Amino acid sequence: MRGILKIALGVIAAIGGYLDIGDIVFNSQAGAVVGTSVLWAIPVGVLGIVVFAEMSGRIVAVAKKPNFELVRERYSSRLSLATLIASLVLTCLTLAAELGGLGFVLNYFFDVSVNFFVLVALLVVASAIYFLPFGGIERIFGYLGLALLVYVAAAIKLDPSWADVGRGFVPKAQSGAIYWYFIVGLIAAALMPYEIYFYSSGAVEERWDEGDMAVNRANSIIGFSLGGLLAAGLLIASAQVLRPAGITPDSLGTSALVAQSAFGETGLLLAFVGILFAVGGATIDTAFSAAYNLAQHQGWRWGKRFKLLDEPRFTLSLAGFLLLGFAIVQTGVDPVELTEYAVIFSIPVLPLTYLPILLVGNDRAVMGRYVNGPLARTLGWTYFGLICLLAIAAPILFVATNGGS
Amino acid sequence: MPRWRGRLPPAVRSPSSLVVIAALIVLTLLLCGCGGNMRADELGRSVGSLGSAASEGSLLAQGVVQDRTKTTFVRVRARELGETVEHEAEKLSDASAQGAVALAKDRAVELAGSISQALGDLQTAPADVAEARRAERTLRALADRASRLAAEQA
Repeated sequence: MRGILKIALGVIAAIGGYLDIGDIVFNSQAGAVVGTSVLWAIPVGVLGIVVFAEMSGRIVAVAKKPNFELVRERYSSRLSLATLIASLVLTCLTLAAELGGLGFVLNYFFDVSVNFFVLVALLVVASAIYFLPFGGIERIFGYLGLALLVYVAAAIKLDPSWADVGRGFVPKAQSGAIYWYFIVGLIAAALMPYEIYFYSSGAVEERWDEGDMAVNRANSIIGFSLGGLLAAGLLIASAQVLRPAGITPDSLGTSALVAQSAFGETGLLLAFVGILFAVGGATIDTAFSAAYNLAQHQGWRWGKRFKLLDEPRFTLSLAGFLLLGFAIVQTGVDPVELTEYAVIFSIPVLPLTYLPILLVGNDRAVMGRYVNGPLARTLGWTYFGLICLLAIAAPILFVATNGGS
Repeated sequence: MPRWRGRLPPAVRSPSSLVVIAALIVLTLLLCGCGGNMRADELGRSVGSLGSAASEGSLLAQGVVQDRTKTTFVRVRARELGETVEHEAEKLSDASAQGAVALAKDRAVELAGSISQALGDLQTAPADVAEARRAERTLRALADRASRLAAEQA
């Protein structure tokens, strides 16, 4: 049981990253539009995030440095500032989208008004951040988000052609822009920068040291693989329900309908509980990530492990980012569209986030005997090349395919 | 080992070059394809959205008929789908088109009206099984019509 509780950081980082509002709709769209042929992109993304999450956790355990301290140290001051600004824009847009998503989910239950429930979501999230310990937040939002396993069960119950599913895990080159749009999107979803910001800072919050290498490995491998499994379940189930009906999902409601098709009202409720906590987890991931990044870049004292009232700058920035997210979503912008804008802002952030992790992980002077071995080094540089490619391809494919439509 | 020993080489340290390149790519791509008469493929995409909404509405109504759903969810989702359809109808009405595309566009606007009405019925009485059965059949037929109209534009 203690072992299970120790992987909560990986679970919340992965579920919040893989199955935030944009990814839930995107995975459903992938299944509905191109079917299971794009499944192979999920393990490619999982391996990439496992490599970098494990590396960033190891750096924290050895050097006690989270991601943005590495950015500040390794980049010139101007590039460091540019990385900070781009990352804050990205995380704030995503935070706003997640808050909006929470409003939509709650409104499906109670039918009052989305804006009212966005306010309720803001208050609940702020209370959770203030009153719960870091470990409590991880466990509540991470493990209740696992209600999304209903999609894995739905994928099995809907009895797809398992030969087709198996073939979907074999990479193949196809010519259509739509196909590549979903491949790039599925890989990029796994590598969203805020997952790493939250994971590395969370490792500092949990005071990892060299004795926690096994915990780090378990968190990164099990947590992110679980995220990938849920994403695959959602994609396969959507391919079974939505694709034959010619439905292209554009909201969380459509994704929930997939679970209802398999398990009726129970499936619908489980899907909503899972979405509520996964999107809630993503809201907390992004709010903390923005505040962590700013504090680490400015050299402030930060973290939930201290009393929030003892760190006024960190606490005020955390509250400020939550209010900013709330203000953005109150403009009436569609949360799913917001996540699409966030993709544009992730262009410069993706490579700039991952490069310092790789540089420090390869630096024997910092890492000592925990320096990257040949496998981690090779995988790290390979994935860094892939990330640069994604950063260029994502917006081009987004426009060329009219957002996958 | 590169000579810059773990720091970025000077040529790529400037953030301005990265930002300018990214902004130019995005701006150029976003400006492509703006303005002019509605093309058949654009109409096809729009009709595809209408068909998707009708089909989802039908699935939603099926849940009511089979008593496998939650009333508030049906009402809220039917309302959202109705709004999507009305928005699509407004875009179609506002767009200029010529020849066969103009005729197809008028049919699409009419189709949108029928879908919107059926979704409205579902939204008004989300627990009424008889109404839901009617809505399911109507929306399925409308989704088929949308599918045929979209195929004509391909």
